[in-house]
Amino acid sequence: MKVSGPAKLWEKKRSGAAVRSFDESYGLVHAELARQAETEPVFAAHLEILEDPMLQDAVHDGIASGLSEPAALEAARGSIVSMFDSIDDEYLRARADDVRDVFARLGAAMCGDDTSSGGILLTKGCILVADELLPSDTSLIDFASVAGILCHRGSTTSHVCIIAHSKGIPMQMGADISGIHDGDIVEVDDPLVGGIGDIVSRIRAAGRKLYINAGNLDDLCEGMAAGADGVGLFRTEFLFLRRDSIPGRDEQRAIYRDALLACGGKPLTLRTLDVGGDKQLPYVPMPAEENPFLGLRGIRFCLANLDLFRLQLGGALDAAGDVRRMHAEWFADGSPLRLMLPMVCRADEIRQVKDILCSLDPDYGNLLSLGIMIETPAAVLDVESLASESAFFSVGTNDLTQYVMAADRGNGSVAYLYDPMASPVLKALDITVKAAHSAGIPVGICGELASDVRAVPVLLDLGFDSLSLSRL
Amino acid sequence: MESRKVILSAPDGLHARPAGELVKLVKGFTGSSVSITAGGRTVNAASMLSLLSLGLKCGSELEIGVHGGDEAAVLDAVTSFIQSINA
Repeated sequence: MKVSGPAKLWEKKRSGAAVRSFDESYGLVHAELARQAETEPVFAAHLEILEDPMLQDAVHDGIASGLSEPAALEAARGSIVSMFDSIDDEYLRARADDVRDVFARLGAAMCGDDTSSGGILLTKGCILVADELLPSDTSLIDFASVAGILCHRGSTTSHVCIIAHSKGIPMQMGADISGIHDGDIVEVDDPLVGGIGDIVSRIRAAGRKLYINAGNLDDLCEGMAAGADGVGLFRTEFLFLRRDSIPGRDEQRAIYRDALLACGGKPLTLRTLDVGGDKQLPYVPMPAEENPFLGLRGIRFCLANLDLFRLQLGGALDAAGDVRRMHAEWFADGSPLRLMLPMVCRADEIRQVKDILCSLDPDYGNLLSLGIMIETPAAVLDVESLASESAFFSVGTNDLTQYVMAADRGNGSVAYLYDPMASPVLKALDITVKAAHSAGIPVGICGELASDVRAVPVLLDLGFDSLSLSRL
Repeated sequence: MESRKVILSAPDGLHARPAGELVKLVKGFTGSSVSITAGGRTVNAASMLSLLSLGLKCGSELEIGVHGGDEAAVLDAVTSFIQSINA
């Protein structure tokens, strides 16, 4: 990720020796926070932390045991923050940042610096420029204000860099910082932040499957060549759009066979035709609807156009049969072909598809596994019933967000509601993952959210088994 | 000292807001000191940091201890507050 902004030089004002006692610093910070707390609720929380007897006791105990005052402060900070970091609860862990903030102010006050941001006053969006940042500097940096960090010395494994990366802040080392003045516009280039490499390494480190989304065979081959563990979403609309007749069963068979071969035995998640809503087929009459996104789309459209749907299901079964004859070993642990139904709301829709598959080939269960997309509130609310009929789930976060928040993602005036990280959406994700795991089926994510560097740690925490990215 | 064991039934556990309210309640009993014991650790119930550090979840067993003042009345008040946390 590249960012640029006004430079702020990190100047050590400290001589290393404290200029104020802890108690005196405490009084200063307390007065400052009490004033700020009147207007900003977040500072009221900080004030409460400052007033907490545990904090003062920890520092005073350290001083009584013979530590210098700054050392006692650092020891207290370390023990309280690590206590929070070890809590198995995301909300509470986040409170550790508030604790760090309070300690940063105390540390700054003891060193004779009265700025509220700790070490130096940082303007929002600035690029911090330093010769070197030491671990002890970390508590003095107000990371919320920093857009990027430029250092002359240091490594990507340094404490400051790890902290910066954990907050998604790019940090570049080895930079020539001589000649940079406060306010100069400087650029930070850090390939480890925000890039796809960051997401890939996080998914790999968590031991989850890394899939790709593909809208045609070229995308698919490219993604597999880049090292994906499979295809998490193979959109089949490209076969159906921009033409004037329904693609035949054999035409589809050839494409799906090529796709399976390109995956080389790794999973291919073939999404059945997902039209309706904003996508129309010229050769299938689709009456105008008042609410297309609440109308005949996804699996509803296919179940209403069975002749067309049978061609697709038949083509998929044929392709799997062809590939099984060539590579029986790919089917030893179950078929690599995963057929995925979009816009499912009721278990009955899955059963109808099973009936069609069975009528096409009673052995269909050995040729493919049948799963669904979770993208409607109904699917989340009745997720246990759907799990009992599905071999896997994949969450489509784009539609799920739009339906859960009742906010059209194309409508700018409600864009503030269209937030895939909003708590109702995250709850829906959590419910889905838990239900899938208690039913013993894998659950992945194939929406744009899986390619969002800020979302990936959350999705991994929620327990998704696979993340399917738009590109690798 | 009076003490009593209770099971936390708050679905989200003892998070910051109820912990803050508990601290306020406890600080109101000026003659008593209140402690919470869970998972083998005993902390001062007037310290939000300490309370949060217990990481109490729904279903956690905790023991309330009251020392000094009207121990029985304070114990009742703290018990009923903890049992009333429902969010």
